[in-house]
Amino acid sequence: MSIAMPSPFVADPYLDIDDYDSDADLMVLNLGPQHPSTHGVFRIKLILDGEIIIKAISYPGYLHRGVEKLCEKLNYAMITPIVDKNDYISPMINEQAINMAFESLMGVEVPRRGRWIRTILAEMQRVASHLIALGTFAMDLGGAIGGGASLFMYMFRDRELILDCFEELTGCRFHYNTHIAGGQRHDLPEGWSEKVKTALAQITQHLEDCKQLVVENPIFADRTKGVGVITQQLALELGLQGPIARASGVDMDLRRDAPYHCYDEVKVNVVTESSGDTWARFMVRLREAQESIRIATEMVDGVPVGPIFAGKVVKTAIAIKIKEGQSYVAVESPRGELGTYLIAGGPKGISPYRLKIRPPSLHAISAIPYILPGNNVSDAIAILGSLDPVMGEVDR
Amino acid sequence: MSNLSENIELFMGNPWGRGVVLSIAIVTVVMTLIAWTIWFERKFAGRMQNRVGPTFVGPFGLLQPLADVIKMLRKELIIPRGADPFLFLLAPPLTLFFTLAGLAVVPFGPSIVVADLELGVLWALAFSGLLLFPIWIAGWASNNKYALLGGMRAVAQGVSYEVPMLLTALVPVIQCSSFNITEIVNYQIANGWVIYWPPGPGIFAAAIFFVASLAEANRIPFDIPEAESELIAGVGVEYTGILYGLLPLSEYLHTLISSALVAALFLGGWDGPFAPGMHWMILKTLTLFVGILWIRWSLLRFRSDQLLRICWYWLVPISMLTVCAAALSKYLLASGGSL
Amino acid sequence: MTPKLYQQIAPLLTPTVDADGNALPITPEQVVNFGMMVPQNKHLALAQLLKEAGYSIYVTVVASHWEEQTVKGKSAPDPEHFEVATVVRHPGPGATTTFSWRVRLEVGESIDSLVSLYAGADWQEREQYDLVGVRFDNHPDLRRLMMPEDWPGHPLRRDYAIDTSHFPWR
Repeated sequence: MSIAMPSPFVADPYLDIDDYDSDADLMVLNLGPQHPSTHGVFRIKLILDGEIIIKAISYPGYLHRGVEKLCEKLNYAMITPIVDKNDYISPMINEQAINMAFESLMGVEVPRRGRWIRTILAEMQRVASHLIALGTFAMDLGGAIGGGASLFMYMFRDRELILDCFEELTGCRFHYNTHIAGGQRHDLPEGWSEKVKTALAQITQHLEDCKQLVVENPIFADRTKGVGVITQQLALELGLQGPIARASGVDMDLRRDAPYHCYDEVKVNVVTESSGDTWARFMVRLREAQESIRIATEMVDGVPVGPIFAGKVVKTAIAIKIKEGQSYVAVESPRGELGTYLIAGGPKGISPYRLKIRPPSLHAISAIPYILPGNNVSDAIAILGSLDPVMGEVDR
Repeated sequence: MSNLSENIELFMGNPWGRGVVLSIAIVTVVMTLIAWTIWFERKFAGRMQNRVGPTFVGPFGLLQPLADVIKMLRKELIIPRGADPFLFLLAPPLTLFFTLAGLAVVPFGPSIVVADLELGVLWALAFSGLLLFPIWIAGWASNNKYALLGGMRAVAQGVSYEVPMLLTALVPVIQCSSFNITEIVNYQIANGWVIYWPPGPGIFAAAIFFVASLAEANRIPFDIPEAESELIAGVGVEYTGILYGLLPLSEYLHTLISSALVAALFLGGWDGPFAPGMHWMILKTLTLFVGILWIRWSLLRFRSDQLLRICWYWLVPISMLTVCAAALSKYLLASGGSL
Repeated sequence: MTPKLYQQIAPLLTPTVDADGNALPITPEQVVNFGMMVPQNKHLALAQLLKEAGYSIYVTVVASHWEEQTVKGKSAPDPEHFEVATVVRHPGPGATTTFSWRVRLEVGESIDSLVSLYAGADWQEREQYDLVGVRFDNHPDLRRLMMPEDWPGHPLRRDYAIDTSHFPWR
């Protein structure tokens, strides 16, 4: 294989560390499950020589809730709210991934209005998710009490505008359960497109301010440029996609290259950078958010008329039946490729036999043993923030 | 009655008596002021972040510091297993002690100073340097690797940033030919503030002294020893209750004293365009303090090696140049312009 | 997916069995991108072939546990077995496609690990080992990912209790 894998964990961490100064006094530090900056419960065991990391071993699984096992017991309509809680930062996209898998095996095609609405919701959700990524990244760099927190507050204020639009549509600010296998549950209310356009226009303005506040700050440039470089080869080998791979130069986006919903009817400009460091990942997310705002603003005006649901209205939870089949469906989540491998055929066809969710953050976190060694502890925090993992989907 | 007033005059005339009375007064006033500067900082930070800050406790949240202090006093003091109990309990009160000791030489008015020492500048800088010890002790005694990292970073940063601080503090000393802070202020009242007269070294020295004292006080952007997102409160991570409360309290106090020192050494102390007096000193101190708050809530923090690089590559050479420039300009002024 | 690639893939797939029990090898026209069965000893070869053909992104591996069940029209029930489905992706340029195949494993068999080809297979395979119990040969560090190190049993097997009185957690 073309890249060297980091050596696996052994009980005595001193045993298999190859090149370190043998006079050095190594210290094992747990960036433990309870930490303000590990983006969820996640443990990294750092082996430090002073402040330089020699080796990093990561332990996910603290948030494992048995979602896949649970889904084998639940009916297809009941799975959607459970899957909302996987990638809890962008629930709309989780729901869409699952329901697209169900629809591929049911053989239904969502009507055009339903797909159009799904596209708008996905893009708005992408903006909201990237706002959180940018805000928490600044907080990792600058402190929860300090300059980073100011940017964090601004990004969350903007996200509230999007969540208000979602609340008007679905009734929930978060964890919507608005998708169902076959279409949408909720249709657009009166005046929703104006509200969305106002919100997105304000966010555009604030993203420009964010650029000035943070991006043109020399402290930010010093902290992020050249830190945590993921080469294009490493990104491809590890199965990374999404903003991380695009920041390393991989020009791939499922919305453009394998279009679903109504992405074949809009132009998606894919943002790439070539340096692969945390700066590049930040800039890719910022520009992607701006790009998603553009797409959503364009699309929210031309929503086609028609039904939002294929077939008759679903009255009971067991009305959705899939007898058998297997399929793999992937969508572009703000973190990469979110895939659902569905093996249908549970008892009476009302629940899946095996549902596997392919989380993009799992691959993002598996990059940690490769890129953390050689950096400071401060850089480790910045790198982890720039990978933007969501532990809910890593552990499920 | 005349006996009483005579006794008071005698008491106040005696430097020891004056010292006792003024120290009680100044410490009381300053510690109370610190509690409400914390309130002000939270309101200020809130407004900068598009929210309001504390509003519940008392009108406009004014009793919030009181509530915080009462809460902290009531918390259980936990000494972690494996920690050195004597050192663990010693460190936070020691930080407060050293900070307050540095307050002794800061003149708030023409004769409102606890101890009008001949080596006032040296005293203030020495105690701000001594502050590293309690922080280091706290980092070691906590038996916690995060605290240890924080303590080590604090020592590296503190020791490095003392050099430009000492060097630039020499500029007003050279200019005013005295280490006594009251005399420095009187010289500035007579001849113009150090920051603009003589033109050149003063502004650079003031800026570097300001930045270095931010670093000594571990304020953002130099707060790597207590970087909350990495070290979860740095040296204070194992401290509970009032022991923890003393650590940020002494940080605020140190910040306030540094602003007061900048005001006294570079900005003319209690001088003003009209009616010179204590109010000008307080105004200048608080303005600088607000500037420090503003910086804290807008900037990200430096990494430790970048911090040290800035100090040794930039601040130290420039401060040495300012000292030379100050000496040169003093010589030129004293000898009437001839070389 | 060029025709040449289909020709190279076809011999690596599990032949279908006709009514008389004769094995009919798969022709290149019958190869589809999803769900073809591959025998366990050809798994690594197929992955290597695909990686060289440009399928350089490892997507996922899904292991599932099938209990013994009767099959309509056959006298002997289908014994308990595992199925491991692997998905890899071709990054483009232009359109991106996935290729996915399945391997049937009897109880006690293990499958080759793809870690030597794709580093991204590392954690996915560890997770399937953890949750379903399928072993991956030549994996450098096959241990549990989600569950604690000393957890007994594999939770995603069909016979792992969730509704019984025996609580699976301690």
